[in-house]
Amino acid sequence: MRETRNVKRLGPYVILVLLLAACFSLATVLQDRVSDWSKRGRSDNVLKVLLGDGRRLFADQFFVQADVSFHSGYYPSIFDQANRPKDTSHLTAKEGEPAAEEHEKQMNFLGPPRDWIERFGRHFIVNEHTHLEGSHESEILPWLKLAAELDPQKIETYTVAAYWLRDLGKVKEAERFLREGLLNNPGSYDILFELGSLYDQSSHDPARARKIWELALRRWGEQEAAGKKPDLLKLGQIADFLAHLEEKEGHLARAIQLLKLSQKGSPHPEAAQRRIDELKQKLAAPSPLANPKAR
Amino acid sequence: MEPIVETRNLRVEFRAQNSGQAKKVAVNDLNLSIRAGEVFGFLGPNGAGKTTTMNVLLGFVNATSGSAFLFGVDVREPIARQRIGYLPELTYYYKFLTAEELLRFYARIFGIPRAEADRRIEQLLKLVELDAARKRPIKTYSKGMQQRVGLAQALINNPDLLILDEPTSGLDPLGRMKVREIIQRLKNEGKTVFFSSHELGEVETVCDRVAIINQGKLKVEGRVTELVEKHQANLEQIFLNIIGYQPQLAA
Amino acid sequence: MNTVLAIAGVVIKELYRRKDFYVLFVLTAVITLVMGSVSFFHDTKMVRYVKDIALLLIWISALVIAIATTARQIPAERENRTIFPLLAKPVTRWQVILGKFAGCWLACGMALIVLYLFFVVVSGTREHHWPLLNYCQALWLQWVMLGVVIAFVLLGSVVFAAPSSNATISFIVVLGILFVGRYLNQVALQEPEPLKTLVYTLYFLIPHLEWYDVRDLIIYDQKLVGWVDCGLATLYALLYMGVFLLGAWLVFRRKPLNL
Repeated sequence: MRETRNVKRLGPYVILVLLLAACFSLATVLQDRVSDWSKRGRSDNVLKVLLGDGRRLFADQFFVQADVSFHSGYYPSIFDQANRPKDTSHLTAKEGEPAAEEHEKQMNFLGPPRDWIERFGRHFIVNEHTHLEGSHESEILPWLKLAAELDPQKIETYTVAAYWLRDLGKVKEAERFLREGLLNNPGSYDILFELGSLYDQSSHDPARARKIWELALRRWGEQEAAGKKPDLLKLGQIADFLAHLEEKEGHLARAIQLLKLSQKGSPHPEAAQRRIDELKQKLAAPSPLANPKAR
Repeated sequence: MEPIVETRNLRVEFRAQNSGQAKKVAVNDLNLSIRAGEVFGFLGPNGAGKTTTMNVLLGFVNATSGSAFLFGVDVREPIARQRIGYLPELTYYYKFLTAEELLRFYARIFGIPRAEADRRIEQLLKLVELDAARKRPIKTYSKGMQQRVGLAQALINNPDLLILDEPTSGLDPLGRMKVREIIQRLKNEGKTVFFSSHELGEVETVCDRVAIINQGKLKVEGRVTELVEKHQANLEQIFLNIIGYQPQLAA
Repeated sequence: MNTVLAIAGVVIKELYRRKDFYVLFVLTAVITLVMGSVSFFHDTKMVRYVKDIALLLIWISALVIAIATTARQIPAERENRTIFPLLAKPVTRWQVILGKFAGCWLACGMALIVLYLFFVVVSGTREHHWPLLNYCQALWLQWVMLGVVIAFVLLGSVVFAAPSSNATISFIVVLGILFVGRYLNQVALQEPEPLKTLVYTLYFLIPHLEWYDVRDLIIYDQKLVGWVDCGLATLYALLYMGVFLLGAWLVFRRKPLNL
């Protein structure tokens, strides 16, 4: 009788232990099979596991938020943006550049108010187009960092952030961030170009800058060979900057070669041609050292 | 003297739930008159119309036709309820309040000054034996304690008319005795008590007059002693006769 | 007035004795402090993203408190049968509506003050700059907006029996107005008739709650909204509160309450 009571009392606990043991055993058997079902679960990125590919939407939103922050809240809505090209080149464009002028036009989206509600509502929003200046420029960086965390394959995040980090004097952080971008995007000529610019303009290390820009050209070429249609404008930019560097170093022939390459992607090939002609003239002119009597 | 509670040709109809059905008449030309100082029992089987009548008196439901008055004031006026106390059958109060807070809340609604409210709360909590539990939230109370809180809130404004809906429902014999004592005490103070109940034995003991209602219609009204003498039966038998109950013959 | 304030007092007591507010406040505080403690590129001076996140969480928390608290007021009174001992007192249904509204609105106001105090401390410790007048104006406008939302939800609570449906519909409507309300006139202009007229009518009928969202002005250190504009916006909100409360009373007074 007592034994029956004991069995009845302990019974549920024994069943619980047996169930747990069964779960554990099943888990060890299923472990390998489940890893074939879901690659997401194997990722070491928490956000990738939680959000899957949806994290890219959030990344885009954070990138836009950086742009909103750059404009101190004055930003077109999705209704205003519907007919406008998605262009964020203004984030790294300097005043007077064509991208900056085009941006100025695009940001004139408010227009006159259509009714009294809209007129009154404008008192409660930011309605002046400004850009962050001075130390306030760093305010866009957290959003860019978050965007990079969520979508490490979004290259623009790294290039824009690095541009502003350099502008704020944080050269080491910019370099680190670009290298992080390269780890996630090994074939990216954009990031390599930005890294080269960092070495050239901020670190004043032309040798390193040359190596990186040449690597960027190679990567561009590899993408073209693979039929991926890489950005011609970027090719033009890389070749132009490298040409400029070679010219400074006195390697004029190489500079001419690169300028010819840059014409492919340049919006103003005639400007490149003028420079080629100037360099050819320089090359052709006899060097003072070659004829001592000319002294 | 003007009756304390009066209904004149009171009629309450409810729309049928299904479109094919006729309207339901819950109260059918009810004429009631309750005088000051009496304990009045309102009886009837389930679905007879007792609760609907109370709903009208308390302003929860509008009459389809006819009228109802409390102290000569139309029940649709909120001031008609200034001098009444109401104890519902199912006692639910704000569970997150303590008994003291609940009574203070109701006292404030009646516009009772703070000092007077404190005195009454003290008195009532002792009367219903909830003094020890006054600071505990009502959600920790037993059913009996909640019933007692209900009684206390019904008395907070020292009402001249007390409307009780099944006041002893769910109470143990001790609780029932306490309620009977309170009703008797109120009667001695000249208050009027109007209550519905299924406990006919209790009604017979406590009430001065009763009304029996069935299918919305008033079937009988009068003093308990007179009814018992007239029908030569106790109240329960009178009740069963009126509602048309035929006892099964033993096999 | 005494009755209205007594009913409001019970609503406020309910709010601070329930756990909702504390959970939301702790969540807001934890998320803000975690985001604030992260160092981006070894720069501790960045503050706008903290303000942005904190204010977003405050807005979400305040809306959740307002809608969830209000949506259950009248239905809970009916379900728990506490409406009967209340209406058996000399209380009109208008006083019940007004009391519930006042209680929910004041309770939200108190919650907002606590949340904004937290915000002031967090942003002030990083910025070393306290534009208190701006914060007060933002708090006032948000509180006034919540008054419109509460009145709207109260109307919903006498129409819909279930608090969950009322809360869901109210959330959708409020968020819809906040995100899209400002742009309905643009949308209308792009549509053919009769949709154009319908959308434009809707644009004029809805309460423009988006006016009261001045987070961008706070985050980006913009100047205050003009006090006349602030006053007009308050008056606009009060009018809508009146409309919704009157609507709620008109529906509620006809509802039979059966024991």
